[in-house]
Amino acid sequence: MLIEHERLGTRSIPVIHEVERGAIRRYALALGLTNAIHYDVEKARVEGYRDVVAPPTFVVTLLPWNIPGLHLPPAGVLHGEQAFDWSQDSICAGDRIEVTGWVADVKTRGGMHIIGIESEGQHVDRGLAFHARAVLIVTEEVEHASRR
Amino acid sequence: MQVGDEMGPFHLTVTREQLVRYAGASDDYNPIHYDDEAARAFGLPGVIVHGMLNMGLIARLVLEAGLPPGSRLARYQVRFRSMVQPGQRLAITARVQALDESRATLNVSLGIPGEKPSVQGKMVVQLP
Repeated sequence: MLIEHERLGTRSIPVIHEVERGAIRRYALALGLTNAIHYDVEKARVEGYRDVVAPPTFVVTLLPWNIPGLHLPPAGVLHGEQAFDWSQDSICAGDRIEVTGWVADVKTRGGMHIIGIESEGQHVDRGLAFHARAVLIVTEEVEHASRR
Repeated sequence: MQVGDEMGPFHLTVTREQLVRYAGASDDYNPIHYDDEAARAFGLPGVIVHGMLNMGLIARLVLEAGLPPGSRLARYQVRFRSMVQPGQRLAITARVQALDESRATLNVSLGIPGEKPSVQGKMVVQLP
């Protein structure tokens, strides 16, 4: 079963991520970012940050996938939409971010499921870091391929 | 900067090497991003670029090449409308939709020039 409708909206158990310099560096390199605040601690501090700064979309690496009531196929899920809101408190290396996610809404049209997943990251002890919303698409073929 | 101002087009091509790097950096090992055969099994023309890589590349070029240094993303949303493949010649554009002293709202897109954009979205930027 792809979705247990009675569990929609139930939040996943919060997971704490410790954000590492190396993870920020690899993500920034993969995007080709040139700003030194992602790589060089001293330069980041001169700019007023605690440590090297995570690129904004780095938060995708923190998103929870073990979400109550959702059983995604192992492959073939399409990403339809993505949205982020970030607080002013940018995520930096050394931060601890507590993340939880939930299925916000599901639409099914002609065998195709359109699943809205929301998630939230909190700086431990310091308030909101980000809110995210993903829309995933599971086609009939992908849903059935995973059952074989 | 004024409402209606356009930034770009910023041209780029995503390589297969970038896909592998991005898969590693984001821990996203969906085979549709590195295995042509697996991608075709899902009805795709071959490997496709991660949606999140496209989203990140738009943000990179608009923030690094279009906006004043020190600009910070506050909100960013995109719709992935069609597949992007490695090797395609792509263009990223942005247009200022709204502006006040502290924030700019931009409509952004990525796609093959002359065709419907593959990724379209909106970003709200906190200006320095």
